Amino acid sequence: MEILDSRLKLFLYTMTASLLFLVSGLYFCQIYQSDKYIRLAHNNRLRMIRFPAPRGEIFDRNGVPLAVNDTSFCIMGYPLDLNTPAKLERLSKILLRHGIPMSIEDLEKTIKQQRSAAYRVMKIVPNLTMTQMAELVADYDFPRELFPLSVWRRTYPAGTTAANVLGYVGEISEQELETRTEEGYAGGDLIGKTGIERSYESILRGSPGQEALEVDARGRKVRTLDAHQAVKGEDLHLTLDMGAQKLAVELLKDWKGALLAMDVHTGAVIALASSPVYDNNPIAWGVSAREWRAIVFDPDRPMLDRAIAGVYPPASTFKAFMSIASLEEGTINERTMYSCRGGLRLGSHLFKCWKHSGHGGLNVTGALQHSCDVFFYQVGLKTGIDRLIKWGRKFHLGEPTGIDLPGESGGNIAGAEWKMRRFKTQWLNGDTVNYSIGQGYMLMTPIQIARVYAAIANGGKMVTPHLSSKGYKHPEEIGLNPAKLAIVQRGLDYVVSRGTGSRAGRFGVAVAGKTGTAQNSHGDDHALFAGYAPADNPRYVAVAVVEGGKHGSSVAAPMVGELLAYILSH
Amino acid sequence: MKFFWASLKEGLALTDRIMFVCAITLSLWGVFCVYSAGAGAAGRGFDLAVKQAAWLLVSILSMLVIMAVGHHKLLEGAYPLFGLMLLLLLLTALLAPKVKGAQSWLGFGGIRFQPSEFAKIGIILMMSKFLSRYPPLDFKTFMAGLGVIALPVVLVLLQPDAGSALVYLVISFGMLLAAGTPLKYLGGLIGLGLSAVPVLFLFVLKDYQKNRILVFLDPMRDPLGAGYNVIQSRIAVGSGGFSGKGFMMGTQSKLKFLPEPHTDFIFSVFSEEFGFVGNIVLVFLFTLLFFRIILAGMRTKDRRCKILVAGVASWFWFQTFESIGMSIGFTPVTGLPLPFLSYGGSSLLATFIALGLVASVYIEGVNTRHGF
Repeated sequence: MEILDSRLKLFLYTMTASLLFLVSGLYFCQIYQSDKYIRLAHNNRLRMIRFPAPRGEIFDRNGVPLAVNDTSFCIMGYPLDLNTPAKLERLSKILLRHGIPMSIEDLEKTIKQQRSAAYRVMKIVPNLTMTQMAELVADYDFPRELFPLSVWRRTYPAGTTAANVLGYVGEISEQELETRTEEGYAGGDLIGKTGIERSYESILRGSPGQEALEVDARGRKVRTLDAHQAVKGEDLHLTLDMGAQKLAVELLKDWKGALLAMDVHTGAVIALASSPVYDNNPIAWGVSAREWRAIVFDPDRPMLDRAIAGVYPPASTFKAFMSIASLEEGTINERTMYSCRGGLRLGSHLFKCWKHSGHGGLNVTGALQHSCDVFFYQVGLKTGIDRLIKWGRKFHLGEPTGIDLPGESGGNIAGAEWKMRRFKTQWLNGDTVNYSIGQGYMLMTPIQIARVYAAIANGGKMVTPHLSSKGYKHPEEIGLNPAKLAIVQRGLDYVVSRGTGSRAGRFGVAVAGKTGTAQNSHGDDHALFAGYAPADNPRYVAVAVVEGGKHGSSVAAPMVGELLAYILSH
Repeated sequence: MKFFWASLKEGLALTDRIMFVCAITLSLWGVFCVYSAGAGAAGRGFDLAVKQAAWLLVSILSMLVIMAVGHHKLLEGAYPLFGLMLLLLLLTALLAPKVKGAQSWLGFGGIRFQPSEFAKIGIILMMSKFLSRYPPLDFKTFMAGLGVIALPVVLVLLQPDAGSALVYLVISFGMLLAAGTPLKYLGGLIGLGLSAVPVLFLFVLKDYQKNRILVFLDPMRDPLGAGYNVIQSRIAVGSGGFSGKGFMMGTQSKLKFLPEPHTDFIFSVFSEEFGFVGNIVLVFLFTLLFFRIILAGMRTKDRRCKILVAGVASWFWFQTFESIGMSIGFTPVTGLPLPFLSYGGSSLLATFIALGLVASVYIEGVNTRHGF
């Protein structure tokens, strides 16, 4: 017990001594050296300027510029020097004299938005041309505390053609600032908001320069205390081919939907078009709230990248997957025949084939060639939903492909478990029947469809779609039996050479693929086509999804054919 | 319920009024400082001060509840409470969203709190029970004590929150000292700690942490980066002079030269506005408070309680010393709150809960003297 009390006494001595030590420090600081610190506080004339780094530029695979920087001018100033309404009023008048309408309220708002500390420089008037800037600064009344600074403005020469791929930059938001200050962002910085600009932000951004100065009482620079140069961000070369991209956008022009092409062996994306399009240039330069709302609330949703975030029933393009799953599971082989009389009766319900007169007897290649529904109804029922889901997972259905773009959707693989969770009801045989022709709960994005077809074309490897070689991942082997895969490939070949997809084959290259027509409860059916070329030694895969295009064979198939022909001939 | 009110009434009659006066004066002063510090940052001062005042009210009520429940019951439940704290720390490390790069907050029905603050109470209860049951007099029990403290330290480092880990270590060291650990063991521990410094510096500390230490040695090596805070804070304190610039008149904090003025650098704001005179009063109040806390320990006959007050005293003392020292450049910047004054509900509430424990110990000490 005594030792405990003596230890507590030791506490008292230590604590008192340490606090006396602090008091002596405070005495030193506040009494002995106070004059020095009072002077420093009074003359706290530290100013900081931040020079934005030029962002890395973006090019297509042939070096065509897709995102570049050009110069514009800003008028900069310190909140310290703009702290009275009189000063703001004077500034507003001068600006108006030079045709720049900024009211006192506008100025106040700009200052309030960016203010982080009174001695940190900020943008007062953004986006001036050289002439505007020169006139303004030459004005006799122009406040001496303000100064012009040249800044980089992001421009997208490709404009609407590749806006969905590139995305755009914008001023960093308060939320982003909150979570990313550690990475060295500051208010007023530009940051990639969507697309490639966002996914490769860390590579593209570079590092900003900074200068710290001491100024005199009238705000004039006395000397530089410290300075770092801005370092330009790294340039990025995409796998995109602007020629193919332009053609894809052109082909889709009158429709809503997506059209994309990809290397079947690497997953390098050659074209990725989504329609309708939007222009990313004005957004990067700053649009008014009204214009912004017009784009965001447009019922056609131009900012939705339908190629990676639009989800559609894969419809008959799914039959290729059905064939692989059933052949691999051994529920059918090449000689298995089913007879189609125009429909399949299940209980009291008749599931029709698209050809009401029926196809007669067909094996799997014939069923692919003629896109017979009844054949796949039977195959689906025989294989069963659980085994189909098992194969779906091998093909990564229901999960994002991992493309290097933000905002990708994973679609929906559905299945019995999912239905129980979502609707609290049993999975029925009727659901399996619908599932077998890619309708019902199954949903896929165009890029997912392309990935499945790439696997069929390359002998069973799942590639990771990417737009920059930095997004390349080694393909993953699914483990498909080559003989069984060859049966499906032959079926897809017949589709174009003598079946429903013949219009894909009219552009001088041998395409193999599959048409699809997705039922749409909101209007005309969606048209789909997924195919690869050359059929005997596939190099590229392309997928078209055309909303309200009615038939895959007439609208979507020629788009894929023309795009593949272009890519192979360039 | 009746017993609850009776024990609260008795407690209030017998309790250490001087301790309460110190704590509440400091806290109220803190609310004013938060108001002043926040006034520079786009006028958030009033909001912050109201929130802080509300937290103070909650804290005082919680302290009364702790007093009524009594330290005996809490020590009985020390093991499960400690387990709960560990669980919360683990959850925070796993789930909490990142706030400025460090995960330290858990959301709970709209209220966010910092488990790392409340864990200090868990550690104190646990260690006082453990160290009095297994006095760290030989090497084996000493190592067992160290093993107990290692758990929360590791968990809080995962967040990562090095500042809190440091406080846990100081609390534990204080409690080991009070529990009568042979000085050679403690000396060995300090030696081990010192020899670990180069290892920490080379392999463990993150760049920004190293920078803070290097800047502590020489603020001018990075006057615009990490050294900036130290320089600006010293200017704030120094320019306060003998009598200060007056409440709400500080220019360093108002012009936002000072970073984090309402939390980490609250003392600089205080110092600039109330000067050396204000500082003397502030340090006196803290010293008096520490005396009264130790006094509670001297009066009780219960080993556990002696160790307990040592834990609370080490905690308050270390954060006070570090926070004041940091603002004049005597100690490296760690971002620990100044007890009672810094803005932050979790820290204030935990501080008052600990104070409630000490008050409960004090009351028992009085009672035994009167022969109850």
